[in-house]
Amino acid sequence: MYEIGRLCVKIAGRDARLKCVIIDVIDDTFVMIDGQTRRRKCNKIHIEPLDKVLKLKKDASHSEVVSVLKKEGIEVVDTKPKKATVKPTRQLKKKETPVKETKKPKVKPVVKKEESKPVEKLDELVVEDKKTDKK
Amino acid sequence: MPEPRFRSRTFKRVKKKLPGGSTVTHYEKRRPKQGTCPVTGETLKGVARERPTKLKSIGKSKKRPTRPFGGVLSSRAARDKIKQEAREQK
Repeated sequence: MYEIGRLCVKIAGRDARLKCVIIDVIDDTFVMIDGQTRRRKCNKIHIEPLDKVLKLKKDASHSEVVSVLKKEGIEVVDTKPKKATVKPTRQLKKKETPVKETKKPKVKPVVKKEESKPVEKLDELVVEDKKTDKK
Repeated sequence: MPEPRFRSRTFKRVKKKLPGGSTVTHYEKRRPKQGTCPVTGETLKGVARERPTKLKSIGKSKKRPTRPFGGVLSSRAARDKIKQEAREQK
C-alpha cells in the first residue's frame, strides 16, 4: 500500500487536504513525501493513500515529481523561500548642540618697566660745572 | 446594595484597591466559554477565549489553529472528514 510512487492525501497538519507522492520508505512508520507539500518525512498515520501509483524512481527530484503530477492534472505551487531582507535602520537625527563660546581669559599686556636712573642732585651738578669752568 | 443592573450573575464582582487605600467593588463582564467540537463534543484547542473587544487586538493566527477546519472541528473530526472526502473522490 505505502510504496514508492503511491499518490496520497495528507490528513493532518497545516498542509492537510494537499496531494503528495511517496518517494522513499524509511521505516515501518515513516515515509518520505513530496508534491504539493514540502519535501519531508511523514508518519503513515497522517496520510491517506489513493488508488493511483505514479511512475517515479526512488528519491526523485522535486522537478520530476512536479512534472509527473502535472500530467495527472495536479498543480503544484512552489513557494519560494523568502530572502532575509535587511531591515532599514532608523537614523536618528543628531541634535545640534549650541556651540558655547568659550571666553578667552583676559591677558594683561606685560609692560616692561624701564629701570629708572637715579636722579642726580642739581646742586652737585652745578658744583661740577663750576669746577670745570675754573680750569 | 448593588444597583439593579449589576445584581445579575452575568457580572463578576472584583474587589479593587484604590491608591487612597480604600477597596471598591467593580462589576466586570465574564469571559466566554471554551468552544466545543460539534461532532465529537471535545473542547477545541488553540482557540482564544476573550471578549470581542480584546479579540480585535489579537492576531489572526493566535485565535485558532492553522489547519483546515481549525477552530471549528477538533483535529480528530477534521482528519475523519478529510479521509471521507478522499475516499469519495476515488
